[in-house]
Amino acid sequence: MSRWRCPTLLVFVAWLLLSPTAALAALPTEETPRVPLAYSLQEFREAVRAGGPGKDGIPSIDRPRFHSAAEARLAPDDLVIGLYLGGEARAYPQRILVWHEIVNDTVDGRPVSITYCPLTGSALGFHRGDAELGVSGRLVNSNLVMYDRTTGSEVPQMLGVAIDGPLAGRGLEELRLVWTTWDAWKTRHPDTRVLSRETGHVRNYRHDPYGSYAPLRGYYRPQSARLFPVMTESRRLPPKASVLGFRTIQGAAAVTREALRREAVIELAVGDSHYTVISDADLATGWVFHNPRRVEIRVDDLTFGPAGVSGGGTEALGPIHAFEAMWFAWAAFYPDTLLYGAAEDVP
Amino acid sequence: MTALAALRDALVGRPRNAVLVGGCGLAYAALYLWMIGDLGPGGGGGLAARFPAWDRVWQARGPFHFEPVGLIEAGPWVWTFSPLNTLLGLGIGLLLGGNLVLGWRVRRAAIHCAWHPPGGSLLAALPALLAGGACCAPIVLIWLGLPLAGVLSPLLPWLLPLAVLLLLASLATLARRLAASTP
Repeated sequence: MSRWRCPTLLVFVAWLLLSPTAALAALPTEETPRVPLAYSLQEFREAVRAGGPGKDGIPSIDRPRFHSAAEARLAPDDLVIGLYLGGEARAYPQRILVWHEIVNDTVDGRPVSITYCPLTGSALGFHRGDAELGVSGRLVNSNLVMYDRTTGSEVPQMLGVAIDGPLAGRGLEELRLVWTTWDAWKTRHPDTRVLSRETGHVRNYRHDPYGSYAPLRGYYRPQSARLFPVMTESRRLPPKASVLGFRTIQGAAAVTREALRREAVIELAVGDSHYTVISDADLATGWVFHNPRRVEIRVDDLTFGPAGVSGGGTEALGPIHAFEAMWFAWAAFYPDTLLYGAAEDVP
Repeated sequence: MTALAALRDALVGRPRNAVLVGGCGLAYAALYLWMIGDLGPGGGGGLAARFPAWDRVWQARGPFHFEPVGLIEAGPWVWTFSPLNTLLGLGIGLLLGGNLVLGWRVRRAAIHCAWHPPGGSLLAALPALLAGGACCAPIVLIWLGLPLAGVLSPLLPWLLPLAVLLLLASLATLARRLAASTP
């Protein structure tokens, strides 16, 4: 009898040890986040504020429907958040995401979450495995705090690192999204699919409760005040000025929209390493590469295609994830950030 | 005269007062729905209605804020219709209208009897207005350009019940005063 008790006990102990691991495996994460943490997880947790709506009070879109570009009811200057993955292009209109903030989608057979925070003007994509991300209703630095519906772990969107729950301290796997106009995205990706207004929820998708991007009005005006407190304040740019930011374990850097319009290639030293930002004028964005050997970029040989930029010396460089955000939020999460292109820097 | 009889007589005993209370209820409901984001611009100019989400009628988006079940377009306006949000807006509006009518009646009685009428019935509606304005469409704060949402957010679950309690308390006080001043 005692011969059987021991293996049963071992199996039970193994189940106890493995079951949390099985739960943690649902949302793909990295043990060591690839972003600089300016504050401890405890400090981030203490900075969390209620945003108004409760958990899932802003409902994510969990069964998204799409239609063709020809069927899209979008104006040329309407903003979209674009994703190109595995040869598939998808456009998520800002007018829809402002009401839902998260789309749990599957692209090219890969489960992904498209996330957008209207209060910080930031759009980030994440691999989600078997999990779904939801809107917690809470904010850090005015930024959306997402939660993983499998483990309950909470992740500020612009940090991409869980600050609470079983996944605390682990980093999510990020995906590049492009914040651009419908006209620019459609020109680059004529076969793009577009998120439908048939979201399963009733919302006034013709109206943005915060203001308007074209023309700039309400909360989106560069000089307008933010609504929630931040951990660090910076006045180097107007609070809502849009920057293209990237961060690595070595540090963070942000480039202004004006600099991206003005310069085809921007070279930046962050920490002990070197990075190159290539302006994509058609999409009004930039592509960032790790360039430790300082390879010279041949601007005339650059090619801009569905997957981004290629040629001109970029072949040997490693792409770095970047995203657009409002300056006040970028500076709050990454107070030691390098800033390129502020008015004080222009000769 | 009892307070209840004075209340009934003031609100429904005279058609003009009943119309005033009803009108106030409708006007406040429209303002409330606009402030919580259920009523807004974006209509295509025509008239259309569809109700695809009746299954969400009881689903809450936040404290005392419910999911819309249908979309009504009328001219330039779009109404994302939630029966419960509409009933809440109407209910507070009727309470506010009742307070206004009773306050006016008490004031008229005070002129004859030379005593000071109580104030504050309009102040009692302030939490309800804040609850509408600071909910998921913080347009009032954006207009004011004040970083107040962080301060107001923890109070939101309490604002609506607080407003109802204050309006009920004010209505009861006014009814008692009116009954006392009526022979």
